[in-house]
Amino acid sequence: MTITYVLMQNLKRNPLRSTLTAVAFALPMGIFVAAISMVVALIRISESNQQELRLATHHKTTIINMLPEGHRMKIEGLDPDRKRIRAVCGMRWYGGRVPNSQTVIQSLAADADTFPIVYTDAGMTPADTEAWMKDRTACVVGYGIAEQRKWKVGDRITLDSSVPPYLKLDFNVVKIMRTESRANVMYFRRDYLVESLKSAGVEGGLCNIFWIKCADVPSMRSLQDDIDSSFANSPNETKSEDELAFAAGFIQGMGNLPGLMQAMAIVVVVIIAMVAGNTMMMSFRERSKELAVFKAIGFPSRRIFGIVLGESIFLAMFGAMIGIVPTVILLISFPLRQFGFLPIASLEVSPMAVGLSVAIALLVGVAAGLWPAYQALKLNTVSALRRA
Amino acid sequence: MALPLSYNWRNLFVRRTTTALTILVIAAVVGVLSWMLGFWTALSGSLSFAQDQHKLIVLRQASTSETNSAIPPEESNKLSQLDREVALDPTSGQPLKSPEMIVQVSLPRMSDGGRTRANVAVRGLTDDGFKVHRNVRIIEGRAFQQGQLEVIVGESISRQFIGLKMGDTLDLGYSGNRGYKIVGVFSAGGAPMESEVWGPLTTLMNAYQRNAYSSVVLRLDDKFNAADVIRKVEGPTIQLTAQTEAQYWDAQAKNVRTYLFIVSGLVGVMCVAAAFSIANTMYSSVAARSREFAMLRTIGFSGRAIMVSIMIEAVFLSVIGGLLGCAGAYIYLQIMGRTKDMFGASTFTTMAFEISMTPMIVVYSLGAVTLVGLLGALTPGIRAAKIRVVEALREA
Amino acid sequence: MSSADIEIKKLKKVYYKDKMEIPVLAGLDLSISAGEFVALMGPSGSGKSTLLHLIGGLDTATAGSVRVGESLLETMSEAQLTSWRSRHVGFIFQMYHLVPVLTAAQNVELPLLLFKMKSSERKERVKTALTIVGLGDRMDHRPNQLSGGQEQRVAIARAIVTDPDVILADEPTGDLDAKTSEEILNLLNLLNEEFGKTILMVTHDPKAAAHAKKTVHLEKGQLEREEFSNRQPMAAAR
Repeated sequence: MTITYVLMQNLKRNPLRSTLTAVAFALPMGIFVAAISMVVALIRISESNQQELRLATHHKTTIINMLPEGHRMKIEGLDPDRKRIRAVCGMRWYGGRVPNSQTVIQSLAADADTFPIVYTDAGMTPADTEAWMKDRTACVVGYGIAEQRKWKVGDRITLDSSVPPYLKLDFNVVKIMRTESRANVMYFRRDYLVESLKSAGVEGGLCNIFWIKCADVPSMRSLQDDIDSSFANSPNETKSEDELAFAAGFIQGMGNLPGLMQAMAIVVVVIIAMVAGNTMMMSFRERSKELAVFKAIGFPSRRIFGIVLGESIFLAMFGAMIGIVPTVILLISFPLRQFGFLPIASLEVSPMAVGLSVAIALLVGVAAGLWPAYQALKLNTVSALRRA
Repeated sequence: MALPLSYNWRNLFVRRTTTALTILVIAAVVGVLSWMLGFWTALSGSLSFAQDQHKLIVLRQASTSETNSAIPPEESNKLSQLDREVALDPTSGQPLKSPEMIVQVSLPRMSDGGRTRANVAVRGLTDDGFKVHRNVRIIEGRAFQQGQLEVIVGESISRQFIGLKMGDTLDLGYSGNRGYKIVGVFSAGGAPMESEVWGPLTTLMNAYQRNAYSSVVLRLDDKFNAADVIRKVEGPTIQLTAQTEAQYWDAQAKNVRTYLFIVSGLVGVMCVAAAFSIANTMYSSVAARSREFAMLRTIGFSGRAIMVSIMIEAVFLSVIGGLLGCAGAYIYLQIMGRTKDMFGASTFTTMAFEISMTPMIVVYSLGAVTLVGLLGALTPGIRAAKIRVVEALREA
Repeated sequence: MSSADIEIKKLKKVYYKDKMEIPVLAGLDLSISAGEFVALMGPSGSGKSTLLHLIGGLDTATAGSVRVGESLLETMSEAQLTSWRSRHVGFIFQMYHLVPVLTAAQNVELPLLLFKMKSSERKERVKTALTIVGLGDRMDHRPNQLSGGQEQRVAIARAIVTDPDVILADEPTGDLDAKTSEEILNLLNLLNEEFGKTILMVTHDPKAAAHAKKTVHLEKGQLEREEFSNRQPMAAAR
């Protein structure tokens, strides 16, 4: 027998209470791990995006208004020695819709030559780039979309467009992108789109956005101002922002789910702290006499402190486990990627999120046990024993 | 015979810390619950004002919203085949058809002091628009005039975005470099259209270099059924698509609904957790008072009276926690702002909502949390009712 | 088998309640030699339990001195007292105070967790202690499966398992019927006579006190009188 054993037996003393506490702890903890997963995933994506040093330049009024493709050359012209700019890639929203369905895939036409340079996180190998450059109908697809639609390299696919003039196009899948930040997007060659638009009698040389790969952070900051001021007072004024700010706009528009999740996570921590604290107070109150006996027998105060605190931590960890494990299994077996757009789709469990949840549970366990444990430490043996 | 309520009330104070912690758990859950109910109320309120069964929104075939629809004027002429079904303007005798164009303008949100922006829909219409959109009323200033650089703004967004007050100038146009004066504010009875800016059709089409309408909105004659007309619109001679106003906004609100379903699920889980927490508290209260209950049984109170008494205590806990939660949510909304805007499902423009703590929401929240309290207290109550008198009295 | 004497000099204990001084012990002198069995009697509030707590190092005196064997309690810190208690003192309470979720053997083993001791050695000592109190066959029973008398025997086993010098018992028979009390008291006699333990027992039952070699009467925090019983040692009775 060890002290740990004594501790475990104590939790069995009131199995009903331990169960109720564990469940009341586990349910919010399940929410917490999901919420924190989303937050962590988004932070990770935005961090990796920030390392990509990309600047987005779009129409000042709204991204829906398109800019002439000539802006690319003008932007490149701002840095003829290529000290600050690595490459500029013009993009146009295609909004590819799976035929005969309402499913719209995040799909963009991108400048073929600069796409592999600007999107290093697409992970294009030289062979991939060769395939991409060789076939005008080439497209690269994020693994999220590929898994959901069961597309693989070499497949011929057809998409309708959800935006005017609603062009139907055929594509050849040349690569599945494996990076988390590119999981739910598809890119194809803009020259293919322009040509198809022209043959449909529509002006094609327009872009929604230019992505500019910069040399370093100072270059990015200076380019941001240089680009916008060079187009100021022209018919096509621009607004440039880094990828983080650009994504934040979208997430806000989708109801700011990450913000909600953060708020939820805070509420949840409050709830579990109260639940655990409540139980520990009750448990301590009922047992103060027994703890006094421990002291009389000769257990040092700090060990009694440890026993009470240990019980609280154990209960919290147990509750956390039965909340976290099923949620994590659920999220892994039914990835939310299939629901398409950001930010729900980005809700992916990571070791970091699980670790954070366990850490929070531990912290709550410590916090909830601290006061009763302190009281146990200060417990007056004589008066506790006298209390009939 | 029942036990006096003051007995329950005082008992809550005997175990002060436990009571306080339980109340805080409930308050946290109800805080989120009431915010969510407020959002649901705002959404359904908004949609309920867009239920005009005789307003038909005609779009290009296969488009899902006005944002991604384009109807060239020559195609819209085909709609003259519907002249029999469309209501006539009593003054001019012309069929009530409103060709409209939708563009977006990115505007700074008031709630965060303009740090972030959202896409607001700008709708261009002719004067007929006001006759087709019957629920739209000018509540301040006047309507815009065709051919002038003038716009009016919806009541809801005028409160939520910076620079949308009467007399302000709004930069519009493809390059966003022409100032449009805000000459009026309109109400649509709370319908989603209140999240829009309206201006003269031709002026705006020129400003945005557009040569196609986004949609044509029809007012049907009362004699005709919307479904029949829709079938005709989608038929081989017209080859466009149409939705009633209710169908259209219902589809656009899909996003908001998904969002709210997620929140509802989370709140549901938290309510269950709260029920467990209440059960825990009540069980420990029952255990600590078993001799007291035995005494009450000996002097003649029934098991049922004791069970009811436990339930009442739980309801007290819940209601106090509930009120605290509602108050918390109210304060949160006051400080953090009551507005919430989200993209429509496929419009790429904002639907703005205003979340308020109405008495109805407080009532619903308290109702829900009372239920949670009763559920949580059920099994402890049964246990209290079944206490064996002799054994409990003998217990140390 | 160890045993110690107890010497108390001018012991004072004052409690404060709402800033009011409540003197409990007022300069008590008492000496108990090693291997003695002393009953402590007196009306409620006479300071019996307080004296017991002071000798056990659970409480500290306002003034005066308590020496148990070679230890001067007033010179020791609380941590030192705690550690000293685990080695030298065994407590027996009126309400037994067993841990309900542990078996008899585990309850007895509890104090041994404070010693660096092999698990096998611990088991051996637990077994010995429980055999001495006559519960060698009830090792795996939980407290709620035992009678009151048996519970108190487990508590006694817990008190002796560390082989303390002094056993302090606070109304050990207060909650038991006459027959069971007699058994428990005989057990204390056995510990005193066979194992030479110094025993100090608070009681207000004259029949219980009769088992002790000496009875000390307290009155208002003062030693009122001491009397020696003419009780024959158990060994002789047998």
